[in-house]
Amino acid sequence: MAFLEINNVSKTFGKTTAVKDFNLKVEKGELVSFLGPSGCGKTTTLRMVAGFEVPSSGEIIIDGKDVTYEPPNRRPVGMVFQSYALFPNMNVAANIGFGLKIAKRSREEINQRVNEMLELIHMPGYGNRYPHQLSGGQQQRVALARALAMHPEVLLLDEPLSALDAKIRVSLRGEIRSIQRELGITTVYVTHDQEEALSISDRVVVMNNAQIEQIGPPFEIYNFPQTEFVAQFVGTLNAVNAEVVDPKAKILKFEGQQLQTAFSLDKLHSGDKVMIAIRPERLSFASQEKKANILKGKVQNITFLGAVVRIQIGIDSLNFYMDTFNNPYLALPKIGEDVEITCSAEAVLALKERKESQG
Amino acid sequence: MKKVNIFAWFIFILGIFYFFLPLFATLEFSLRMKKGVYSFEAFRVAFEDPKFYQNFGYSFLWAVLTIIFSLLLVVPTAYWVHWKLQKIRPLVEFITLMPFVTPAVVLVFGLIRLYGKPPLNLTPTPIPLIAGYIILSFPYMYRSVDSGLRAIDIRTLTEAALSMGAGWGTIISQVIFPNIRVAILSGVFLTFAIVMGEFTFASLLSWPAFGPYMEEIGSMRAYTPQALSLVSFGLTWFSMMIMQSLGRGAKGEEQIAVAH
Ligand SMILES: Nc1ncnc2c1ncn2[C@@H]1O[C@H](COP(=O)(O)OP(=O)(O)OP(=O)(O)O)[C@@H](O)[C@H]1O
Ligand SMILES: [Mg+2]
Repeated sequence: MAFLEINNVSKTFGKTTAVKDFNLKVEKGELVSFLGPSGCGKTTTLRMVAGFEVPSSGEIIIDGKDVTYEPPNRRPVGMVFQSYALFPNMNVAANIGFGLKIAKRSREEINQRVNEMLELIHMPGYGNRYPHQLSGGQQQRVALARALAMHPEVLLLDEPLSALDAKIRVSLRGEIRSIQRELGITTVYVTHDQEEALSISDRVVVMNNAQIEQIGPPFEIYNFPQTEFVAQFVGTLNAVNAEVVDPKAKILKFEGQQLQTAFSLDKLHSGDKVMIAIRPERLSFASQEKKANILKGKVQNITFLGAVVRIQIGIDSLNFYMDTFNNPYLALPKIGEDVEITCSAEAVLALKERKESQG
Repeated sequence: MKKVNIFAWFIFILGIFYFFLPLFATLEFSLRMKKGVYSFEAFRVAFEDPKFYQNFGYSFLWAVLTIIFSLLLVVPTAYWVHWKLQKIRPLVEFITLMPFVTPAVVLVFGLIRLYGKPPLNLTPTPIPLIAGYIILSFPYMYRSVDSGLRAIDIRTLTEAALSMGAGWGTIISQVIFPNIRVAILSGVFLTFAIVMGEFTFASLLSWPAFGPYMEEIGSMRAYTPQALSLVSFGLTWFSMMIMQSLGRGAKGEEQIAVAH
């Protein structure tokens, strides 16, 4: 049985449906992230797990115990907020020890645990500082230590890194992940940053419009998105409407050009509409060796992104993005030049139309 | 730069005059009790009267009681309005402005009519007096606390405390209160100053207090009231300073609670 279960949970605020038919089972020690655009219901779902909101229907189970209607201060849950929410009137040690003090632990135990926690977040010696004397990244580490001090069974983080700058964000997310692994704590992590979600999660829950679009490991979410939304939201994507030409031979067409996919089109018929999705990094210039699956187009724009060069190619009225690794000794085409690009059949995803059935 | 400085100084000096000229004039007048020479005769007379100490003491007591009950009422209310009941905020703000809309005399007669006879005869107790003072202090107390609450993210702080297992008592006393301490203190000072000089309620509800006493002396003597008002001014300031230093002490203790 899963450690944290969210079964059929829905939440409405007046006429707004914030979360609809949410189902998720999180295993012990797993880190699952909720990824989705603003307003899709990530925070609301997390707050229901924490106990700050009561579901309109459904149930939440932690370690076999139904906690759906338990108040937040009686749940074995630690929470980290985007705004850190450290108590400004208490120093770091008092912040971390707050929960232990409430639980009436002995002074020695509190001191020992506070020191352990400070070690864990690599901030020994900061116990007597006040929150306003710390940087944002340090404050968030203290907030993490505070949430973990009580040894909660579930750790919840709501966009913990959104208020920090890019460098700290990357290093701190690595730190959060390694602490999470070290303690083996079951964790739910909310973010709207897809790179963050992909890089730290065991599994990602992609949400849109109050509903789950897809649940899966980062690799699967990125490489095999099941819906147009997931494909669009996670990473950059070339998505075009196409038509099935020959389901047996797996041939599709759009704007007079044909592509072959490696994925089964068995359930479709000739003339059916599908959506083709190709990641920019799967495209490359056609060459002597690569002559299948050719698309003809014209270079529209070239953007230097550092490690990657993104080339925008116009194919009739459509724009395709193609990414190549930066190589200073490789000649790039000129803007306006006619080019032929290609990709393997495995790179051509045929996505089902957006599922509207449940909505 | 220079010009701005001169202008600032000008305003500052104007302010000094505005505040201190009346005080100075009062002082000057109070020193003239003996013909032809400046003396502290008026002060001596004022301090000789045992009723002075009595009435001042009563007013002090009323002020302290008002502050205690006002805090108990206003802090949780303002907190709850911020945390859960944002919608009723305009209503609460309107209620707290009542003493600006309804004159004290009207308020006190209302209280007497309602609580001066059975089934709820409260006029023999100081309850209507304190209750009235609490209402008088609403605009200052509520607004101070409200602005203090606005300055911190009480919603998230509350949730953080809740997720660590804290109950409401702990949250209010250890998280909310210490963080709005300064705001509360300013409400407390204003309330104190108002109650110390209040006349209408004490007089009409017939409770001893400094306001009615001053009025009584004023109708009988010429110089003593001036001395008295200066003394009350000084004492009020002094009390405020004591309260402020007490407030500081409390804060220091709280902060090192779990430190090692
Ligand atoms: N207390 C509330 N009262 C009314 N509506 C709410 C409340 N909380 C959330 N909502 C609504 O529910 C929906 C989901 O909100 P939620 O905060 O869960 O989104 P989110 O995915 O966390 O977005 P973001 O990335 O912006 O934080 C939104 O439409 C929001 O307006
Ligand atoms: Mg959110």
